[in-house]
Amino acid sequence: MRALPRALLLLTLIDFASCSGESAPTASTIRVGTALAADQSLARTLDTMPHSLDPALVTDSDGSRVIIDLFEGLTANAPDGSIIPGIASSWEVSPDGRAWTFHLRPGARWSNGDALTAADFIYAWRHQVDPKTGSENAQELTPIVNATEILSGHAAPEALGVEAPDPYTIHIALTVPTPYLLDLLADAFMMPLPRAALERYGDDWTRPEHMVCSGPFMLKELVIGNRITLVKNPNYWAADTVHLQRVTYYPLDRATQPSRFMAGDVQYTSFFSPQQYRWLKSQLGDQVQVGPYLGIQMLAFNMLEPPFAGNRDLRLALSMAVDRQILSDKVRQGVFPPAYAMTPPLPGFQEPLPDWASWSDERRHAEARRLYAAAGYSASHPLKVELVYGTEPTTRDMMDALAAMWRVNLGAQVEPYNEEFGVMLQDLALHKAKLFWSGWTAGYPDPYTFEQLYKSGYAQNFGAYSEPHFDALLAAASIEPDNSKRYRLLEQSETLLNAEAPYIPLLYYSTLHLIKPYVKGVPRNTMDIDGSRYIYILEHEGH
Amino acid sequence: MLRFLIRRLLIALPTMLLIATLAFGLLHATPGGPFDSAKRIAPAIQRSIEAKYHLNEPLWRQYGRYLGDLAHGDLGPSFQYRDTSVNELIRQGLPVDALIGSLAMTFAIVLGGFFGIIAAVRRGSAWDHIPMFFAALGIAVPVFVIGPLLILLFAIQLHWLPAGDWEPGAVRFLILPVISLGFPYAAYIARMTRSEMIDVLGSPFIRTAWAKGLPKRTILLRHALRPVLTPLVSFLGPAFAGVLTGSIIIESVFGLPGIGRYFVTGAINRDYTLVVGITVLYGALIIGFNLVTDMCYAWLDPRVRLHT
Repeated sequence: MRALPRALLLLTLIDFASCSGESAPTASTIRVGTALAADQSLARTLDTMPHSLDPALVTDSDGSRVIIDLFEGLTANAPDGSIIPGIASSWEVSPDGRAWTFHLRPGARWSNGDALTAADFIYAWRHQVDPKTGSENAQELTPIVNATEILSGHAAPEALGVEAPDPYTIHIALTVPTPYLLDLLADAFMMPLPRAALERYGDDWTRPEHMVCSGPFMLKELVIGNRITLVKNPNYWAADTVHLQRVTYYPLDRATQPSRFMAGDVQYTSFFSPQQYRWLKSQLGDQVQVGPYLGIQMLAFNMLEPPFAGNRDLRLALSMAVDRQILSDKVRQGVFPPAYAMTPPLPGFQEPLPDWASWSDERRHAEARRLYAAAGYSASHPLKVELVYGTEPTTRDMMDALAAMWRVNLGAQVEPYNEEFGVMLQDLALHKAKLFWSGWTAGYPDPYTFEQLYKSGYAQNFGAYSEPHFDALLAAASIEPDNSKRYRLLEQSETLLNAEAPYIPLLYYSTLHLIKPYVKGVPRNTMDIDGSRYIYILEHEGH
Repeated sequence: MLRFLIRRLLIALPTMLLIATLAFGLLHATPGGPFDSAKRIAPAIQRSIEAKYHLNEPLWRQYGRYLGDLAHGDLGPSFQYRDTSVNELIRQGLPVDALIGSLAMTFAIVLGGFFGIIAAVRRGSAWDHIPMFFAALGIAVPVFVIGPLLILLFAIQLHWLPAGDWEPGAVRFLILPVISLGFPYAAYIARMTRSEMIDVLGSPFIRTAWAKGLPKRTILLRHALRPVLTPLVSFLGPAFAGVLTGSIIIESVFGLPGIGRYFVTGAINRDYTLVVGITVLYGALIIGFNLVTDMCYAWLDPRVRLHT
C-alpha cells in the first residue's frame, strides 16, 4: 500500500526537476567557514520510527542508531568503526580467549549524576537474558557462560557468567572464544541499564521524563511518527569532546528524505534509494556520499526439494547466468557493487572468489548453458520456477532483470512472485519457496556472521542447506583463538560454500548518505554506525 | 427528532460490534504474527512475549478480552511500538489529523464553493473556464503528486515554507499539507456546486424570484444555495470522516505524526490492537458523520423527514 505513492513520488520529483531545466540552488549557494558554528544543532533522519528506545527491547537498526547516542557500553565504536574504550577504560583477555576482565572508568556517571558501576552492566545483561523480559536480542549473549541455559528456562538469570568483584571491575566468562566480543559489547542491546529507573517506572522508564542515560546525549522529547530530540548529556565522562548540543531525529520515508534535505530541514540523511543516485548526484554533488557497507543481496535455493536439491549443476548454471555488472550498473545505478561470494571485502580476509568471477560474459554464459543442459534442461524442457520476494518497491526491477537474464542466457522460465514480508517469512520458515530473495547485513565485521547463515539448523537458513564439512569448518573457526588462523578456516568454508552454491550472490550493499558540507566529523564505516558524538557543525551561510 | 437520534445510536452499537469483530477476525486470520521476525528467538522468550500480550490464549478468549477492554475505552497496548498504548498513539496522532483535515475541508468548501457558484453564474466566461480547468486538474492529479510539487516549489526552490515536520501551533507547517489535502476536495466541490447551481438557477422557483425583482445576491444566497448544498452534504459527511482519520500520503510526504501511517505500518507489522483500534475509531467517525449528514438534510430540505 505504501509502495505505490513512494515510487510515484520519486518519479515526480525526478520528472519535475529534469523538465524545469533549472538546477536546484544547493551546493553552490552554501558558504562554509572554518570555525565552529555558534548553533551546534543537527537534524538527521531515520528510515522508520524506532519501535522502542529500551536497549533490552530494540529490534530495528533505527532504534539502535538512537540508542548508541543515548547510551554507552563497555566499548564503543570509533568513527572508522574500530573498537575503542567506552565506559571501560581497559581490558584483558586470558590466553584461551574465554575469560575477559574489564576495568570501568571511576568517573563514569549516569545522566542524573549517579555513579555508573559494574552492577549496572550485570543487571542489564541478566535482564536481557531473562526470558521474562522478552528480548529478541537475548540470543546474541549465548557465548556467555550459562546464557543458553537461562534462555531455555533451565537456570536463573543470576547464573549468567558475569561478575563484579568490585564496583569498577567486570569478569565475563565465555563458553567459546568470541573474537567479536568487543564489537558485541558496543551494541545497543549490551548497554548498562539504570536499575532504579526501571524498577520505579516499569515499561515507562524510556519516557523522556524518566529516562536516565549513560551516553553522550539524553532524551529530551519523543513524538511518535514525528521526531526524537536529544540534548547533550553534561554528565557523560567525555562530555568535553562532544560538540553537538542538540540532535533531532526525524523518521521519514526514504523518498521524502532527499526533499527535506534539499529544503534545508535536515542536514544528514540515513539512506536514499539507489534509483535516485544519479539525479541526486547531479543536483547535490559532493553532498551525496556513498561508501561500502557490510551487507549482501542474494537469492537462496530450497535445498530440501527438487528442482534444486541435489542438483548442483542447475544451481551453478543459474548463478553463472546472472550478469552482476549489469545489475549493478543498470539496475542500481552503480552504487551497489557486484558480489561473487558471501563475505564482502574485509581487511585481512582473502575473499574466496569462484574462478568464473573473472571470466568474460561469453565464456561464463557458455559454461552456464553447459551446466543447465547437464542438469537435464533444454529449450523443449525449460526450468519453470517462481522467484519469491518480499514487498519492497525497489526490488521488483531487480527480479525482472534476473528473470530476463535467465530467459535470454539459459531459456529458463523464472516468474517473479511478490509476497508481503510477513507472509514471506512464514512461507520461508515452512520451506514453501523454491528460489527466494534474501538480504543479510552483518552485526560485526567478521566473515563468520555471513557464513553462519548456511550453517545446519541456523534459524535463518531458510533454504535448509546442510553440509557436514562446512559445519565442521565453521565449528573449528568458532573455537580458534588466533584470528588469522580463524580467517583461513573461514576462507576454506566459504570456498566450499561457493562451490556448492546453495545461494546466488548478487550485489553488496553500500551506505548512501546526504551530508551538508558544513556538517563534519560524520563517522564513515562499513557497518554504518554513525553516532552523533563525533559530529560538529561549521559556520556557514545558506542551506 | 430525539427518538430518531436515540434509535440511530442504538443501531450504531451492533454496527460497531460487527466492525470490531470483523477487523479482529480478519487480522488474526492473516498469515504471520506481530512478533515473527527474521531473527532467532528462543522459545522461552517467544512464550514470554506471547504471554505478555495474551497471544497464547485461545482466540475466543483474546476476543472476549479485547471487547471487554474496548467497552472501557481501552484499545490495548501497541504491539509494534512496545513502549506505548494504542490510546496514547491515537491521543497523540488524532489531533494532528483532525486539525489538518478540518482546515483542509474548510479550505475546500470555501474555495470550491466560491468558484463553483461564480462559474455557474458566469457560465461560459473566463470565470467559468479557468476555475473549471483547475478543478479538472485537481481531480485528475493525485495528492502524492501535488504534495511533492508544492514542496519542490515552496520549500526547495523558494525556501518560503518548510518541506515537512510539525510543531503544535506553528502555522507554517500547516500550509502545504492543508493545501495538498484540500485541493482535490476543492476541485470536487467546485464542479459539484457549479452543476447543481446551474440546475437550480434554471428551475421555476428561481425564475419566479427573478420575476419578482429580488436582488441577485438574495436570489443566489437565500434561495439557490440551500438546494445546492443538499448533494454537497452527502459528499462531505464521509469525506470529513476520511480526512479526520488521516491521510497516509499527506503524513508520509510531510512527515506528520498522524494516525494514517500507524494504520498502514500497523497492518504490515501485524499490530493487531493498533489496526483494530483505528478501524473502530474510523467506524465510529463514519457513523457519527452519517448521522450529522442526515440531520443536515432535514434542515436543508424541508421535504426530507427524519423517520423514526
